[in-house]
Amino acid sequence: MRSRIVGYIASVFYPFCLVFGLYVVTHGHLTPGGGFQGGAVMATAVALMIVSGMFTVAVREKKVVRYKWCEALGLLLFVALAFGGMLQGGSFFHNWLANAGGCFGEAVAAGPNGGALNTGGTIPLMNLAVGVEVFGGISIILVTMVRAMKENRDG
Amino acid sequence: MKTLLNIFALSVLGAAMLGVAFRLPYGEPEQTHMDDYFLLNAQRDTGANNVVTSIVFDYRGFDTLGEATVLFVAVVGISLILRRTHEGEEAADEE
Amino acid sequence: MNAGWVLLHGALLLGMVLTAASILWIRNLVAGAIALAVFSLMMALEFYLLQAPDVAIAEAGIGAGLTTAIFIVAIMATRSGKTPNPGAPEDEGTPE
Repeated sequence: MRSRIVGYIASVFYPFCLVFGLYVVTHGHLTPGGGFQGGAVMATAVALMIVSGMFTVAVREKKVVRYKWCEALGLLLFVALAFGGMLQGGSFFHNWLANAGGCFGEAVAAGPNGGALNTGGTIPLMNLAVGVEVFGGISIILVTMVRAMKENRDG
Repeated sequence: MKTLLNIFALSVLGAAMLGVAFRLPYGEPEQTHMDDYFLLNAQRDTGANNVVTSIVFDYRGFDTLGEATVLFVAVVGISLILRRTHEGEEAADEE
Repeated sequence: MNAGWVLLHGALLLGMVLTAASILWIRNLVAGAIALAVFSLMMALEFYLLQAPDVAIAEAGIGAGLTTAIFIVAIMATRSGKTPNPGAPEDEGTPE
């Protein structure tokens, strides 16, 4: 099941998968996609490395700790952005950055248009938070399963 | 006799499901007032061009919070069940 | 909807039914997981044809990518575990 050719081709495709997932995450408020989908695409890169037998690269202990930080910080950023609406005098999940003129605060033209990246208020930041969280979470699930399998096999 | 009964039950079940399925409008959802509100006001309210994302992350943010919480709980459960047991044996006994 | 669209939808739905039947029919577990990935890919294409690209991306990423990987890891784990964890039951004689 473990072939060197498949492993090398998977390691070539690994950064492209990550970059495509990051594109889906960051353009979530303009094009179809969003945090959950982009995070799943990024986690597919880790799954590709694991399935192709290159999982010694991805299963190192430092990387697992890094995925755990990704997961926790993503969820914290998401909840903090939601609470930021309450601090600004609105409700929970109030979009307090939209149309404010600052970061991600440009007003968008009505009707169908291409859009600009600097719009959307808290939506791009929430996309990024959820994307990082989903990436970390699914990677932890996969890596933990593979590590438990290897430990069980080694005895 | 039993196969006949099975065939009869399967055909009745299949006919019922197909009868319901052919009555549904396929690929042409009905227009409602919520659709019109979101399509007309989402760009002005949230500043995002993708109306689906503006619903998921702004109008219906609680859904996304629950989704993220479900994923977090799944990760916590899996890392509890499949945690490293070789070095952790002594630590578990000391407690 | 003209005839071409109906034909495309019908072909996709028929392919989905055939793939779902083949998942049950195939005896090889890895081949069954691959058939499940093909089923998810067809479902993503159907979602895209029904003008839901968000759901299509989620289905293609999770259904065709992650579920297949998790199934393959589980199949590998259960095959390697035919001799269940040698040495572990003898260490701890007492339950609790």
